[in-house]
Amino acid sequence: MVRYVVYRLAMAVPLFVGAALLIFVAGHLAPGDPVQTLLGDRYTPAAAAVLRHQLGLDRPLAAQFVDYLGQLATLRFGTSYVNPGLRVGDLLRAALPISLRLATLAVAVAAALGTLLGVVAATVPGRPLDRLIQFGVVLGLSVPSFVTAAALVYLFALQFRLLPVAGWGHPSDYVLPVVVLAVAPLAFITRIARSSVGQVLLEDYVRTARSKGLRTPRVLFRHVLRNAALPVVTTIGMAFGTAIVGAFVVEVVFNVPGIARVAVNAIFQRDYTVLQATVLVYTALFSFVNLAVDVSYAYLNPRVRY
Amino acid sequence: MFGTERWKAVRLALGGDRLAAASAGFLLALAVLAVAGPLATRYTYDAQDLDALFRTPGAAHWFGTDQFGRDSFTRIVYGARVSLSVGFAAVACESLLGMTWGTVAGYYGGAVDNALMRVVDLLIGFPTILLAILVTGIFGPSLTNIVIALVLTAWPGTARTIRSEVVAIRERDYVDGARALGATTPRILARHLVPNVVHLLIVRATLDVSTLVLAEATLSFIGIGVQPPHPSWGQMIYESFQYLDGHPLLLVFPAAALSVTVIAFNVVGEFLSRVLDPRYAGRH
Repeated sequence: MVRYVVYRLAMAVPLFVGAALLIFVAGHLAPGDPVQTLLGDRYTPAAAAVLRHQLGLDRPLAAQFVDYLGQLATLRFGTSYVNPGLRVGDLLRAALPISLRLATLAVAVAAALGTLLGVVAATVPGRPLDRLIQFGVVLGLSVPSFVTAAALVYLFALQFRLLPVAGWGHPSDYVLPVVVLAVAPLAFITRIARSSVGQVLLEDYVRTARSKGLRTPRVLFRHVLRNAALPVVTTIGMAFGTAIVGAFVVEVVFNVPGIARVAVNAIFQRDYTVLQATVLVYTALFSFVNLAVDVSYAYLNPRVRY
Repeated sequence: MFGTERWKAVRLALGGDRLAAASAGFLLALAVLAVAGPLATRYTYDAQDLDALFRTPGAAHWFGTDQFGRDSFTRIVYGARVSLSVGFAAVACESLLGMTWGTVAGYYGGAVDNALMRVVDLLIGFPTILLAILVTGIFGPSLTNIVIALVLTAWPGTARTIRSEVVAIRERDYVDGARALGATTPRILARHLVPNVVHLLIVRATLDVSTLVLAEATLSFIGIGVQPPHPSWGQMIYESFQYLDGHPLLLVFPAAALSVTVIAFNVVGEFLSRVLDPRYAGRH
């Protein structure tokens, strides 16, 4: 187990260096000269040469890349490209917890409700309730999240005035973003839970448990859920990844000051250092989620041993 | 390369599957409308009419008008043009790249396979939107860059699908036979492997159009996709968000167009995957 975790961590390193390289190269290919931007009106060829030397931009690209990696390893992201007074690290520290909180809440809601709906649907296969849940799953997977967002904002914020439209600060501001973010994960957790529980229900030991007179709830909790849990747990892990990506739409719609918002603003302002940092943060989050999913799978499944 | 027999089977099966037939019909109509573009409407997508703001649907404006008095139906038709051409262009490129990559990796195996598929593994873990944001964020949101971003995110999946099928096919007797008869590698690839995986490619491409049309809409919605005044469904949905209170219809039309298109491509893709499966033959 320990060996497997170490191996997976080692595999994450090339991914991360690869992402950093991609971002570094892209930053250099990007139109515009940072020195010219920094100097602005005070631009003269001599001043530019001095600044270029000070910033180390006249050194070979390979040397600059190694420096860049060193900075990243010590979590120094530098200052904003457009707004030199602003430290990228501070920006991330303010935004990241908000996005993580949103994603965690959404996944928690999706996991609890999705497992419940999946189990319910699996116990009444083919009945109207099962079909209704299945239809909801298809809808949840195919309707774009911004359309769902529009429908919810229209109903709950504009028609019934129950919730704020957009804004940030009050706990009720979390409700709509979390719900919108939870829809897609909810749909596929439900789908996986239904098929997984449905399969286990056909097993001989479930029939035996029933035939010896156990009540349905006891059969479900003791025999079915434990054996059906593995794919569901893995899916919940992957749902976290979906929720992090879904934040792009949700943070734009509801004006949430999270990390996706920071990334989108950086694109609008062509703020390369901020953009690079946000992409790296996302890469790190994804590597971590994938790692956690695979490790928990290995841990939970007695048939997988490393 | 793709027998008329197969197409006949598809047509026959389509008669028995009303949902798939309706979806295919919708997509065909949408494509015709998108190509016909200017012929389908007497307005242009950016002509403002300040005397006719926020008109409700009627004879003059089928889907009403927006905050600048622009005709919504016209903008949806032109939006279809953008969505479909971005979707098709991206799918064509990623299919070609994924097909070549997957076929070469699967056929040669060994170290070549290993090297090629590690690249795929690396990219496949990367979420679509993130790559797209990196590309359009750094190089600017032009249509070409959006297509490049979408190709980058989609081809690894195609490569993986094709590779696994090629690995299974290359051990078949007819491939051995062709090799024994002295067929060159390019000939084996082109005559024996590609025709036998092309049905998978068609299915995959159809499902990918759906994903990529949605991805383009998402990028445009966030503001880093198609730029105004060129209309795109995602961007129209974003703009109409501000007028949701009072003019909800403004949002309903582009949202419906996008959702129905995405669902229709999915339905047709699922249908094709059932019908084009070689094991389906003779079961209609």
